[in-house]
Amino acid sequence: MPKISDSLNHKNVVCPFCSLHCDDLEITVDDSKLSVRNNIPKSCVSKFEQLNLAKFREISSSIKGNPCDQKKAFQHSRQLIKESKETVFFNSSVDVNITRESLSAASELNGIVDHVNSSVFLKNISIYQRRGYMATSLTEIKNKSDVIIVFSNNLFKTYPRLMTKFLATKDSFSINPKNKKIYVIGNKKNNKRDCDIKDKRITYIDFDNKNISDLLDSFTDKKNISSVSNKFFDELLTSIECSKYLSILWATSELNNYKECNEIIYNISAYVVALNKTMRAACLSLAGNDGDVSFSQTMGWMTGFPSRIKFTGKFFEYDKDAYKATQLINSGNSDLVIYINSLSEKKLNLNKKNKNIVIGSPSTKYNIEPDVFIPCGTPGVDYKGHVFRTDNVVSLPLSSLRLSPYKSAQQILREIIK
Amino acid sequence: MPTLCLKNGNVFDPINKVFNKKKDIYIKDGKITEKLSEKIAETIDCRNKIIMPGAIDLHTHIGGGKVNIARLMLQEFHNNSDNDYDLTADFVPSTLKTGLQYIKMGYTSCFEPAVLPINARQSHAEMADTPFIDKGGYALLGNDDFLLDLISRGANQSEINDYVAFILKATQCIGIKVVNPGGINAFKFNQRALNVDENSVRYKITPRKIVRILARAVYELGVPHPLHVHCSNLGVPGNFKSTIETIKAAEGLPVHITHIQFHSYGNNGDRNFSSASAEITDYVNKIPNLTCDVGQVLFGQTATMSGDSMKQHANHSHAHPDKWLCMDIECEAGCGVVPFKYTDQSFVNALQWAIGLETFLLTEDPDKIFLTTDHPNGAPFTSYPHLIKLLMDKTFRDDLLDQMSVDISKHTILKDIKREYTMSEIATMTRSAPARILGLKNKGSLSKGADADITVYDSNIIDIEDMFASPTHVIKDGHVVVKNGEIKKYTWGKTQVVKPEYDASIEKKLKKYFDKYHTIELPNYTISNDEMSEVIGSHVNEIKCARKRIS
Repeated sequence: MPKISDSLNHKNVVCPFCSLHCDDLEITVDDSKLSVRNNIPKSCVSKFEQLNLAKFREISSSIKGNPCDQKKAFQHSRQLIKESKETVFFNSSVDVNITRESLSAASELNGIVDHVNSSVFLKNISIYQRRGYMATSLTEIKNKSDVIIVFSNNLFKTYPRLMTKFLATKDSFSINPKNKKIYVIGNKKNNKRDCDIKDKRITYIDFDNKNISDLLDSFTDKKNISSVSNKFFDELLTSIECSKYLSILWATSELNNYKECNEIIYNISAYVVALNKTMRAACLSLAGNDGDVSFSQTMGWMTGFPSRIKFTGKFFEYDKDAYKATQLINSGNSDLVIYINSLSEKKLNLNKKNKNIVIGSPSTKYNIEPDVFIPCGTPGVDYKGHVFRTDNVVSLPLSSLRLSPYKSAQQILREIIK
Repeated sequence: MPTLCLKNGNVFDPINKVFNKKKDIYIKDGKITEKLSEKIAETIDCRNKIIMPGAIDLHTHIGGGKVNIARLMLQEFHNNSDNDYDLTADFVPSTLKTGLQYIKMGYTSCFEPAVLPINARQSHAEMADTPFIDKGGYALLGNDDFLLDLISRGANQSEINDYVAFILKATQCIGIKVVNPGGINAFKFNQRALNVDENSVRYKITPRKIVRILARAVYELGVPHPLHVHCSNLGVPGNFKSTIETIKAAEGLPVHITHIQFHSYGNNGDRNFSSASAEITDYVNKIPNLTCDVGQVLFGQTATMSGDSMKQHANHSHAHPDKWLCMDIECEAGCGVVPFKYTDQSFVNALQWAIGLETFLLTEDPDKIFLTTDHPNGAPFTSYPHLIKLLMDKTFRDDLLDQMSVDISKHTILKDIKREYTMSEIATMTRSAPARILGLKNKGSLSKGADADITVYDSNIIDIEDMFASPTHVIKDGHVVVKNGEIKKYTWGKTQVVKPEYDASIEKKLKKYFDKYHTIELPNYTISNDEMSEVIGSHVNEIKCARKRIS
């Protein structure tokens, strides 16, 4: 029988932080201190290790920046909720079960539900709301894709193990992995720097990704009008034409920096659809990190809409413009915003026009002190949960690795709403 | 839990051979019991009422990735003005609306027929968020690289059985389904069709072999529900021949052919599209171990969704509205979502409508055929009362046929069929028969000890469609959850599962495969009972399997 002071070793741990949700982690927990045993990028390890910092292990609730006990924070939150005429539940980083609870809470209060990444994932979903789409998933790419095109400026920083664990793999079931061709197109300097392996199967091509549509037109017409050199263009075109299963990857969050974003993702999608008349090809639009896939999927089955709904009585309405949280906040049309931030280190931008309650991991940062801050545990570290991977189809279990002094975000929501 | 008595109702309980007999039904602790001597908390006067066990839908797409894609794809249809529900469209309802609409029609158990093992968590989470009903799923096999590789390398049947049993346990499912056997996998290698006796290019095995091996695995493991088969060539004119060959592939072992209407097409006539319901039902009637559900088409907008990415991609040009999605998924299977509008102005759609009804009416034994629309592929499940009326009322049926925008009278024998389903046959087809074929001994029955899932209809309502659409009372696990159309109490059903035994050495082989080729770890593929109840949100009820062996 292990003693309570013994360290615990957890295998096959699912990382809750980036949407690749790599699940091969081995983590030792010693006196609630987490140590990642795998040889993985530092940026991944640091996500766990920052939870070890003493300042994040004993953080208390606070009211306007003044520490208080949890009971008082709950009472004050209830008071703010009672006084509110329009409450927004602004999900910043969540899993399936937090989303479920956030919806349930919003239905109690006739509230509005949104996610910080809605603008991006609504663009992703709009691809198949307007035309045909051929999609694939990471295991298919690993095992079947002989030619992979990745449009990236910073993708390997956002998804640190994408190349090593999923694309440039040494094993593939249906093809000879040695013959894989991986073209990384975009900011060559960033891509080479962020990709932590050297592999002769990878070709980096410097390109301004705002011109992806030109490149696709060039492929279709077999005539290079893009800024890619003719040498690379010819190689790319030959690889595409000879491929047995072409995969094209991108992240809409990255392309969203271009005003041409919608046009680009529609053109990639249309290009792949056209290829499938005679050969096999598929797209993978990598979803964002902050639990946005888990959020939009859960919203989808519970309401039919991916985000931005408002409850009125026992019904709800969807309006992607009217119920955009940032708009409601900036226009002063909401008097209370409840931020739920169980995973992310991103800084929350609170607005002093309205009251703010933050239910957040102890490492949550914000620009101004919220009216109430209640620390919550991290799903996948402090309590169990359920997340969707970046390809939208694989869902994984999050474990509880240690005893936590913090309640889950859903438990806190339940207690402040009742 | 309060006791309950349903007094003086006309009872239809096919398992106990009770048909339209006046009886009192007693309920205690969520179960049906003998006459109670104690004081009964609530008595419902059931004079002029029909009492049946709660209905069971054994094939309805209510949870999983493809259903959610359809919900999000077709938002413009989420404008239902019925104030009793949320806005979602009937053919792609939210989980809440799914539960509400089913229970208000008297359905108390529903089964999702296409659970991708890698997507099982999502399917169960969606079903867990569907109130009232008991639920379950059929895990998809027969297009996964692991199994096809095993078969192509000549693995013995016991090894296949172990793998099938592992999948059932790992995915918390109640049955196994094969969709377009081998075809979804072949599509990933750019094959566009795969006939029953055609080798796939990659694995050099035929759909016939896959069906035979899987049907045997399911049988030998003692899984109550036979292999659930979505045949090759869905929707292709002339496909009745491959449907018959698929039935033969099971070599006499129990097999369930799903949405058989979509697989009962001839290619005669000047339009190369004709009914082959007579040929198909001839088989259904004469082969003892064969059951089927229909997948009836009814007119209106819907969404087709299937694991059959090969055929969904082939049919995407028919999308209405013009948008669609197909996906290759995790070396296991695929999916395709194509919105579709069935109209009686289309010769093909009108004949599909007639073929479905012919299939119902020509199948003699209501124990062998089940009432489905393959929700939402043929029509939303909310159209079941209309479908029941079509089966029970020849005049109504003939009138609709006469009113069709296109004349299909020369292409269907529907008018020559005099049969009208009786109330007893409807009760069998929607209650006792699906319970039996799923191994649900406590469902679909009013026997002592059965789960108190009961529907009460008002026999004073003359229109049979109205009667079936609005039961006066629905009782779930002993609670009155619906009274005169109003929800009285929310309950959350269980997930029905099977867990046949297997040799654990298969997990070592799977671990090697996962370590090398998969992108997740094997332990995270498996869903435990604890995860079902603590994280996903549904308790499981295990149905026992009794191993059999073919000599």
